[in-house]
Amino acid sequence: MQEYKQIEITREEIVPTALRMRHDGKWLVMIYGWYQTDGRLRISWDYEVGPVVESYYVLGEKSVPSIAGIYDEAARWAELELYELMGIEFEGLDTSKRLFLPENLLETQGKGQILVTPLKELVDRRDEILGEKKEASEE
Amino acid sequence: MSYIVPIGPYHPALEEPIHAKLYTEGEVIKDAEVFVGYNHRGIEKLCTERNAIQTIVLVERVCGICSHSHAFTYAMAVEALNKLEVPKRGEYIRVITAELERLHSHLLWLGIAFHIIGHDSMFMHTWDVRESIMDALEALTGNRVNYAMCTVGGARRDISDELRRDILARLDRFEPQLQRIVDICLNDRTIAMRTQGVGVMSTEDAMRLGAVGPHARASNLSVDVRRDSPYSAYADFEFDVPVWPSCDVFARAVVRLLECVESMKIIRQALDNLPAGPINLGKKIPKIAEGVTVARHEAPRGALSYLVAGNGTQLNQRVSIHVPSFKNTPTVPHMLRGNTVADAGLIIASIDPCFSCLDR
Repeated sequence: MQEYKQIEITREEIVPTALRMRHDGKWLVMIYGWYQTDGRLRISWDYEVGPVVESYYVLGEKSVPSIAGIYDEAARWAELELYELMGIEFEGLDTSKRLFLPENLLETQGKGQILVTPLKELVDRRDEILGEKKEASEE
Repeated sequence: MSYIVPIGPYHPALEEPIHAKLYTEGEVIKDAEVFVGYNHRGIEKLCTERNAIQTIVLVERVCGICSHSHAFTYAMAVEALNKLEVPKRGEYIRVITAELERLHSHLLWLGIAFHIIGHDSMFMHTWDVRESIMDALEALTGNRVNYAMCTVGGARRDISDELRRDILARLDRFEPQLQRIVDICLNDRTIAMRTQGVGVMSTEDAMRLGAVGPHARASNLSVDVRRDSPYSAYADFEFDVPVWPSCDVFARAVVRLLECVESMKIIRQALDNLPAGPINLGKKIPKIAEGVTVARHEAPRGALSYLVAGNGTQLNQRVSIHVPSFKNTPTVPHMLRGNTVADAGLIIASIDPCFSCLDR
């Protein structure tokens, strides 16, 4: 079974940790974001260190520094995804272009409407949009 | 003269939708951008509304080519959270399916690559050879696309002794056919002229941009989750991790072909030493224990990772899927720069992109 090691860090330690990993030639496995059962947002930066995945995480921060300057595209796309789908701010990240969501949803980007909003509300919103479109086409 | 040449979202060289903008000076690409998201289905969100068994069915549909890899990795994550030990026979069956899947995926890509460079006789030949692997997968799993071989705690279908011998016989017939494709690929002038020196990505750039899988190995980086962080039954098998130093489209084709040879080795070892015993832990729908873990698997296109967070109920608190194409696609603009517009389709295809995986 693969080992997954979790280490809590502070907001200030995010960039030095990334710099150290990059310097040591460690792979950035991925940047993850999710809400714990206690409602706190957890953002983790997972690195491959030998056979182990080391997960450095911060709790309760909605805005964290970007490491795209250190890990280039490997970090930039992951940060953009979390910005679009969960509304997590990455300071210094260029968010002028969308990654997954349509261009006409630019105004709602950064509000985390996909992964944070309950599914029921998303379905209602979809029905509302489809209803509006149907009415417009009938007119 | 400067032009902006759009490619896609729908284009004959693309199997799935992606949009690329090429900024050119005459024939030469000076810069490029890629836009994804045309297949975004919100699968991660849907996972939070489902139990583990329903999630396996859902994640298997993230991608049609590497469907088993998704189910396999998700199941490994849930098993790690719940501290379940999968029976050895179940692990072997999962590995056999995963390696057959790698064989068919690599041959599918090779066929497409030959088609893009205009070598249609090799395209037909590769896909003809691939059919024998598809037949083996169908005999093993009952399906040609979504195999449904994985469940939490093991595999869903056993391998009878007759089927075991049948797959081994198929591999005996397949081996010389594969060797012939390897020989042609290494020695054919047309293939060399269209692929060598095209879409180069240096070893340093592959590391910096975070490339994974055959794409990274074709840039001379020896990375493979199966060897570097063994899981399931991979520690029981001997295999090599092929790398190629030329860092171009040719290297990506050669690495994938050599990987097919290694996959055959693994399948043979697994079938020859298939342990006796149960294939799974029963059919109970498990609760997903509170906690979080990441499971990783070397899918045909590279390292696939699943973060699964549980809350002690049957539903997932969070499933985050990170696929190899998510890592490899950002390298495309880098590879396109300095090449001609005529090679753009081939370079995009050379990472073996899967946009339904990428978009989820």
